[in-house]
Amino acid sequence: MSGFRTVLCVGGLVVASFLLALSDRYYMDVFILTCFYGTLAVSWNLMAGLTGLMSLGHALFVGIGAYSVAWGASAQGWPPLVTWPLGVAIAVAAAAIIGMLCFRYGLRGYFFAIATLAFNEVAFFSVSASVALGRSDGLILPTSSEDSLLMLQFFDKWPYGLIIGVILIATLAIGQHLLTSRTGYYWRALRDNEEAAEALGVNARAYKLRCFMLSAGISAFCGAFYANYVAFVDPRSVLGIDLSIQMLVYSIIGGMSLLWGPLLGAVLLVPFSVMLRNISAIQGGEIIAYAVLLIVLALVLPQGIAGWLTARWRRRSAVSRPEGFAAPERSA
Amino acid sequence: MSGLLQLRAVSKSFGGLRALDNVSFNVAAGEIFAIIGPNGAGKTTLFNCIAGALRPTDGEILFDGHRIDGRPPHEICSRGLVRTFQIVKPFRGMTVLENIKVAAFARHIRPRDAEEAAGRVLAHLGMEAFAGIDADELNVAQLRRLEIARALATEPQLLLLDEMLAGLTPAEATVMCDLIRELPRQGIAVIVVEHSIPVVRSLCERAVVITFGKVLAEGMTAEVIADPRVQEAYLGRADG
Repeated sequence: MSGFRTVLCVGGLVVASFLLALSDRYYMDVFILTCFYGTLAVSWNLMAGLTGLMSLGHALFVGIGAYSVAWGASAQGWPPLVTWPLGVAIAVAAAAIIGMLCFRYGLRGYFFAIATLAFNEVAFFSVSASVALGRSDGLILPTSSEDSLLMLQFFDKWPYGLIIGVILIATLAIGQHLLTSRTGYYWRALRDNEEAAEALGVNARAYKLRCFMLSAGISAFCGAFYANYVAFVDPRSVLGIDLSIQMLVYSIIGGMSLLWGPLLGAVLLVPFSVMLRNISAIQGGEIIAYAVLLIVLALVLPQGIAGWLTARWRRRSAVSRPEGFAAPERSA
Repeated sequence: MSGLLQLRAVSKSFGGLRALDNVSFNVAAGEIFAIIGPNGAGKTTLFNCIAGALRPTDGEILFDGHRIDGRPPHEICSRGLVRTFQIVKPFRGMTVLENIKVAAFARHIRPRDAEEAAGRVLAHLGMEAFAGIDADELNVAQLRRLEIARALATEPQLLLLDEMLAGLTPAEATVMCDLIRELPRQGIAVIVVEHSIPVVRSLCERAVVITFGKVLAEGMTAEVIADPRVQEAYLGRADG
């Protein structure tokens, strides 16, 4: 984790790919989707990889963000300036409530994962049954023929690319800042051994809650963006378990021990799946190819690609292992 | 005697099982104190009650004049009481320095200050060469020392050591004992839970013996060990 330089490099690559993608609407679409899923995976991994909280219901927060924007725009005519903060606030509040319940009763590991999945499913079926939220048909955002900055409506795709690129870089910068601070150390300590962390002065419940709220907030931000970009939301696309699984898959493939690992996973897999969807004649062919790739990668690179890269790099610059201790200093 | 740590009639029950019954003793600032007793006597339960991992069913625990019984471990740690674990619990995804830095954050909020403090602890324990090594790669003796290093980095007034010598070779144990003996000079009181009577005799001025959750004897280590009831609890009755 060589700090801010890594974030600068990754940020530079994001800017460069944005500039390259300017040439073509199709490329820009791929860029936007990659950034969208990449940011989601990074935010998911702040919890799972860096704090040890495996959420299987992160789509809930994406859904909250997306539906806040879609409902606000279609039913109330509210601009994104209102609905984005609203969506993020609701998602953070929801995370706080779910987190307090889970951490109060000491849910960890699989139990926490199942609890988050349950909340996600409740939301999925509630929204699918709610007339005000368009039931399972979803909501279409009102559009006009003219571009509007206020309503975040553009004919070109590049403004959307700009927005999601900024969100991605901001997420990485915030993540990096937290990781080098006390908060990040405490998160990793909680991931590695909660009991020891508590004994060393870590308020486990408070720090886990903080992580959950931040992660949910970023996910809701992405969801809000998605609603404005696609101008359509339905339960399947923003609340479905597929979305939660995608965050998990990108993180595992990319490498969960690093902040930018999940982004690497998204960079490799999102364009791949878009491409497969375009060329495969068989329905669901891309899912099969995806599954095969996953199995192969899990066998060959269990720590993920980023984990493998850093391990290689560390091995090359490794210091020789000391054999024994020096004598302890005497404080005479 | 005004104690740094005072236990007053502490009891702990698990359902019908009374693991601790009316345990009282005091530990003074800057002393090395031992809790001894046969297997299953309730030493670790007692430890967990003091460190906040368990809430006593009854009684009071005062540290530095404040009630700490039933308070969460992180709060007790910030008051200056820290424990180590019998089964070492390193943060395996971090380096040695990062492990200690986590503990140093208990007193230093800024990362740079915490890193300096962690570096000082490393230097003090002669572990500088290990700073960049993954905690995962250490052997038992090194993990035990890391456990102490982390505890010291929280800058405690009282350190609880749970079976620090278990699994160490005699040579390693000697080094560890020297390390513990140094602590009172830095103003740190120590409570050790230990099986080995020779170690306790060489290390601690005072001791309390616990059997079946009750205090059997308390006082100067040599006298306590010589007590016939203690001999009996450890070895069985001579005429039995």
